[in-house]
Amino acid sequence: MRILVIEDDAETAAYLQGGLEEDGHVVTLAVDGRNGLMLAATGDFDVLVVDRMLPGLDGLAVVRTLRASSVGTPALFLTTMSGIDDRVTGLDAGADDYLVKPFAFSELAARVKALGRRPRATAVTATLLRVADLELDLIKRTVRRAGQPIALQPREFRLLEYLMRHAGQVVTRTMLLENVWDYHFDPRTNIVESHLSRLRTKVEKGFTPELIHTVRGAGYCLREPG
Amino acid sequence: MSRVRHFRNSSFQLALLYAGLFATSILVLFALTYRTAADYAAQDEADEIDVEFVAIQDEARLAGDERLVQIIANHLRQRSSEHAAYLLEDAGGQRLAGNIAARAPQLGPQTLRVPVDGQWRELRAHGYRLENGDYVLIGQDPRALRDMKHLIARAFGVNAAVTLLLAVLGGVIISSRALRRVEALGRTTQAIVAGDLSRRLPLRGTDDEIDRLSANVNAMLDRIEDLMRSVRQVSNDVAHDLRTPLTRLRQRLEQARRRGDASPRELREVLEGAIAQVDCILETFGALLRIAQIEAGGRGAARTALDISALLTGVVEDFAPAAADRGQLLLAEVASGLQLTGDREQLTQMLVNLLDNAIRHAGTGARITVSACAGTAALEIAVADDGPGIPAPERDNVLRPFYRLESSRTTEGSGLGLSLVAVIAKQHGATLALADNGPGLRVTIRFVKSGAAARPSDAPVTVSDVLAQR
Repeated sequence: MRILVIEDDAETAAYLQGGLEEDGHVVTLAVDGRNGLMLAATGDFDVLVVDRMLPGLDGLAVVRTLRASSVGTPALFLTTMSGIDDRVTGLDAGADDYLVKPFAFSELAARVKALGRRPRATAVTATLLRVADLELDLIKRTVRRAGQPIALQPREFRLLEYLMRHAGQVVTRTMLLENVWDYHFDPRTNIVESHLSRLRTKVEKGFTPELIHTVRGAGYCLREPG
Repeated sequence: MSRVRHFRNSSFQLALLYAGLFATSILVLFALTYRTAADYAAQDEADEIDVEFVAIQDEARLAGDERLVQIIANHLRQRSSEHAAYLLEDAGGQRLAGNIAARAPQLGPQTLRVPVDGQWRELRAHGYRLENGDYVLIGQDPRALRDMKHLIARAFGVNAAVTLLLAVLGGVIISSRALRRVEALGRTTQAIVAGDLSRRLPLRGTDDEIDRLSANVNAMLDRIEDLMRSVRQVSNDVAHDLRTPLTRLRQRLEQARRRGDASPRELREVLEGAIAQVDCILETFGALLRIAQIEAGGRGAARTALDISALLTGVVEDFAPAAADRGQLLLAEVASGLQLTGDREQLTQMLVNLLDNAIRHAGTGARITVSACAGTAALEIAVADDGPGIPAPERDNVLRPFYRLESSRTTEGSGLGLSLVAVIAKQHGATLALADNGPGLRVTIRFVKSGAAARPSDAPVTVSDVLAQR
């Protein structure tokens, strides 16, 4: 993917560039808001990684300006430790995701991938998701594997829906907490793991091949075999 | 106490102002009295001259006009001790009798300048024309008037002097006393500014304005000292709590550097350990920031009317599998349809932290209950377990930041979970109470109804205030 990183801190910028290039992305760097805005508006990027605090034009203004001129490139905000108000203003300005510094690089990598391939839906129709022989009906709220109905709790259903929408991508624990549970803080109790192990039991037991994988040190991935 | 000081002193200035006002009013009074008295005396003297003339006229009518010269001479003799003047002229202007020189006849009241004992003296006089055409002039010394004027002036002069003297003296005395007290207050406050926060303003026990003001300032100082102490306590706690993981981190890194022959796998393990240690430190900072944010974050910023029943049962459902994995039973006993005005995310985090604690500390096989009920006055949310609980003397301590029970010292965690619960409760105007569940721990959060939840008390809530709840 072609990624534009707008970040004024040289060390962080080098860290982001190095990591993302290692992941196989093509990275362009902008060191201030004005420059970043120009590049984002004229270049062809799959994802923008934008620091909230930038000299000159701040990240919020960059994204707001882009959205106002109908540039829809998915944008991820980076910000220092902060709270809900920052998150809400960032998303209101038109950012698609939000990550608080400091973060594990795997977290950023997963989110960038999730943003870049956003509409890579496995949707057969608008209301039916399918990965291999696993089907999820958004209207009837039913799940079938190899034609057999599987009963899920509401939270398990949302969890599976999120995994299937991001099939083939790594989703992190934090992404799940934010998107499935709407928790923007980290509970000490391992609620994600507990739900996931139940979901796995229901979706995988007695079926082959295995669809939900644990990616060590990163998160989870639901993907078609092969 | 220098003289200049007195002039700058407000109570002395006030005393001077009063003295000035007094003096002015005395002056006005004096002017009025003087004027009235003078007018009265002048009239009196004019009347006296008239009476004298009428007497002369009557005597002349009885004795005949030819005796006029004799009559005038008699009157002159009678009033020889006074500086009286008499003059009788015939119609032709010829002086017939009297003690002053002939002059052109002038009728009516007039002023007469005559030499008396070698001095010119002004007499009040009146000129009359008799029926036979003779001219009579009678003058007399306005002594009574002069005496009265002197008397009045002296009386007022003494009065004014005494008044001014008393006012100035009183001003000095009153202002000295006020000045002494204010200076005492000044010395104390200077000592406080210089850093001695334990000093207090002196009280006299008279309950006057200065005493009441001092008492208020002292109360304020008590509060400031409290806050300072808790800020110190918190920063001590922060420093102390971060020391341990930072020391460990340093040890790991140094160890790795010393072992030059470490395999890549071993180095990787060290690095992973170091990152975990850093994450642990960051978690503490994150929790501290979150607490500060919630405190600073406008009250009522993200407050909405919430279906608290749904929120509670939802969180319980989220946590039930994790509890079950530890062999615990997590139950919700929540009345349906309970409403509460508050911040959804904060209230969720509050319950999550309480459940984190309960699941972590209640032990395997514990039964954890989240309950909520509303009375007429308040809404109560409780998280109760039947685990080991917290000994009564420790219950207040666990609300302190970084405080951990000896039994849980080895478990990970920032030690700020309950502090966060406390600050969220406070921001919602709710009270937090820890009690014995017999056995186990029961944490109760009580929200006072009637919109009070949306408007926490007006008392300012500060970082250290809440952090240092004990």
